[in-house]
Amino acid sequence: MREGASVPGGEGAGSVPALECRDVTLSYGPVPVVHDLTLAVAAGETVALLGPSGSGKSSLLYAIAGFLRPLSGSITIAGRVVSAQRDWLPPEHRSIGMVFQNYALWPHMTAVETVAYPLRRAGMPRTEARRRAQDLLESLGIGRLAERRPAELSGGEQQRVGLCRALARDPELYLFDEPTAHLDSALRADLQEHLSGRRQGSRAAALYATHDVAEALAVADRVALLRDGRIVQIGPPVEIYERPIDLWAARLTGAASLLSVTVERRQGSRSTVAVAGVSLDVAVDAPGDVIGPGTSHGDGRRSSSQDGHGGALSAGRTALVRPGWLRFGGPLTGTVLGAWYRGPHTDYRLDTATGEVALAEAGPPRFAAGEEICWSLDRLWFLPEVASEASAASDSDAP
Amino acid sequence: MVVLLAVVVLAAIPLVALVGVASADGWRGVVDSVDDRSTRAVANTLLVALLVSMLAVLGGATAALVTERWAWAGRRWLRLGILVPFLTPPFVAAVGWVRAYGPSGLTDDALGVGWSGLYGPAGIVVVLAVHALPLAYVVVAAGLATRAEPDLERAARVSGGSSRRVLWTITLPLLRPALITGAVLVFVTSVNAFGVPAVLGIPAGFGTVTTRIYQDLAFSADPAAFSRVIALACVLVVLAVVATGVAALSGRRAAVRTGGPAGPEMPAVGRSRLPLLLLGAYLVLTTLVPLLALVLTALTRAVGLPPVPANWTLANFGEAIDARTSAALINSIVLAVVAATLAVLLGALIVVLARRRGSRLLPAIATVTFAVPGSTLAVAILLAYGGWLRDTLLLILVAYLVKLWVLGLRPLASSADRLPPEHLFAARTSGAGALSAFVTVVLPIFRPVAAAAWLLVFIFALHELTMSSLLYGPGSSTLAVAVLNLQQLGDPTVTAALAVLLTALVLAAAIPVLLFRRSALEIGRG
Repeated sequence: MREGASVPGGEGAGSVPALECRDVTLSYGPVPVVHDLTLAVAAGETVALLGPSGSGKSSLLYAIAGFLRPLSGSITIAGRVVSAQRDWLPPEHRSIGMVFQNYALWPHMTAVETVAYPLRRAGMPRTEARRRAQDLLESLGIGRLAERRPAELSGGEQQRVGLCRALARDPELYLFDEPTAHLDSALRADLQEHLSGRRQGSRAAALYATHDVAEALAVADRVALLRDGRIVQIGPPVEIYERPIDLWAARLTGAASLLSVTVERRQGSRSTVAVAGVSLDVAVDAPGDVIGPGTSHGDGRRSSSQDGHGGALSAGRTALVRPGWLRFGGPLTGTVLGAWYRGPHTDYRLDTATGEVALAEAGPPRFAAGEEICWSLDRLWFLPEVASEASAASDSDAP
Repeated sequence: MVVLLAVVVLAAIPLVALVGVASADGWRGVVDSVDDRSTRAVANTLLVALLVSMLAVLGGATAALVTERWAWAGRRWLRLGILVPFLTPPFVAAVGWVRAYGPSGLTDDALGVGWSGLYGPAGIVVVLAVHALPLAYVVVAAGLATRAEPDLERAARVSGGSSRRVLWTITLPLLRPALITGAVLVFVTSVNAFGVPAVLGIPAGFGTVTTRIYQDLAFSADPAAFSRVIALACVLVVLAVVATGVAALSGRRAAVRTGGPAGPEMPAVGRSRLPLLLLGAYLVLTTLVPLLALVLTALTRAVGLPPVPANWTLANFGEAIDARTSAALINSIVLAVVAATLAVLLGALIVVLARRRGSRLLPAIATVTFAVPGSTLAVAILLAYGGWLRDTLLLILVAYLVKLWVLGLRPLASSADRLPPEHLFAARTSGAGALSAFVTVVLPIFRPVAAAAWLLVFIFALHELTMSSLLYGPGSSTLAVAVLNLQQLGDPTVTAALAVLLTALVLAAAIPVLLFRRSALEIGRG
């Protein structure tokens, strides 16, 4: 009944998904940590699980790998049911390669022994397994470290060994459990490149848990936002960033400001809106394009937003803007509250007639705190949630 | 300075005295004094200790894998159950086993199934192994927690290893240091064990080094006996030191773990509960039934009568508590309280001083005093201080302190190691002076640990038998010695009553320790 909801139309209908989780509920105790979660990953696709700590990312990966038995629901990997009400396949029989947050390297084994381990378990003779392991280590640029134990490797090197071990399994599905969480930013970027490069080479699918927004947006074909064990929104990275489904999703995926605006006229994808009494021509996305999680509240939201423009156009509404959608110069005025130089760009916080807003501009700071400036905006996004919150508020007023 | 002084008084002087006496007589004389029975005792001791080490480590590791790998509901109680034998007096356990499974014991009376082999090597090995299992369990469980983290096993499972394969290729290699440490601890404890061989070995004519020392020192009129005691005492030291050396060497080659924190434990959803049931059955058979048999014997009017309510009486308890045993009871409690207090104070002092200078010396001292067997210590202390302290409680107190200060020291030292210096720095930068930083930040962390250490020393002093039985004199008998003497006089019901009293006392003190499981774990951490 709900199959279509979580699988975007992009992938070929004929190919078997690498992963299908259906109504999976997980728990360590009386309180479930993942509720009725449904998620599909197409062959060759990378899906990022983005959520704060405790949102259930790791638990879901552990369940898919076979370390945690779901209370209910089913999990299918590459067309093979690995976990259902009756059937349960132990981890070693699932076609999975996993990279762990804490590396999980065996302290008593050298790098090459570690990478050869899955090959040996698959029945490869010792010398051949070692040779293949050595090749894999070479391909990630750590061939010279083959005879070292984990204690003699840096964090980045350890995680590369961990990645090699997962690659050696040559699975249908990779599971990445925050693999870069303990690495500094340079190593993190380096490992991300290896991950993407390797994955494209192998054509295998991947599920990538992280709490780092930039990482999720960079590595994934689709991003799933996880909150309290439920998928709040799932979609391509651009959509996740530009069209958040609610304020929580917007804040999770980056800085965002709220503006009170009145839509005066709408023409195609562009509208004339009034911000603090000033009319502006901006790009406006319609919330109807958002693909919801397809679980508890997907359908209702979609229908309400499709035909909701007429009513929404007239009244004052709350719109969401990303810092990059604002620019200096224009009809609006404000005061700089602070400026933070980030290297590639500078973040500003402005005090305006419509409240505090965040603005980002490439290059070093041009204005200091206290300066009066002019600003404008190029696009905005009406949160679907705002409409439903308003209706929820009126609902609750009724009884 | 204080550390040095304590070491000199507590350990060095007695041991120097021992070696001094041995060499003054001429080593020839000591060696010549060794007779057939003594060499047989050494062989017996080695055999028993090796078998007990193997059994206890096997059982302890199995139990640790069952309880620590999966978050079973009610696991806490299972852990407590496993630790109980560690805290009950070993000779009481031996008496309990005799009453439960021995000839004319509970099973013999009820089912006609008695185990005559209980008196002798087999019984000694089994009871000692049951008693030492918690020691191995604690060490292996700690090893599982700190070395073989769940994620390491999971990484092997997703690499295609079956659970059995992963046990052999990942878990056991990672546990190797813990297994060796556990085996050495059990070996040393078994070599030093006196209560169990005394109860189960002496009646069967099966002598170990410790029972030979006891018999030679307490009962023998043979002039060569004392030389023989010294020779045997030296053998015990050699065995203990060699075993500890093996552990130290194997520890050095241990692989260093890396990476972040371990992954979470998994709930035991959908797993077979059979291992839990087997473990529970084991605990009932080895711990609960012997204790129950002891209580029933204490309650029954005479041996041979069925232990039914009609035959129950409290008279045995009345008979057990006469003037002598109540004096012994008071002696035991006074000794235990004083020893526990001094051991913790000494331990705290050493921790503070060692922290200031770097604690290279500390582990070495702790190892030495742990390794020196109680029998040897008693003989050495008798030689060093026996001249002016003979037959006094003070002599026994010195022995307790030498033997048990490690129990007071080690929990404090390991929690000090774990206290990050940043905590103190943070307090100082928050405006606290040196003293108030110590009072507000350090002390609250140490208080529960110090309490647990105190209770631990208290318990072990309360059921100490090896040294007390060699050092007591008229008026300085302890409760444990009283139980042993009664047992050897052969009055099972009164012995059982006194043993029940002693065990109740020990267990009452043990409950808080068992609840402080974390601190209790520190004891076994080699």
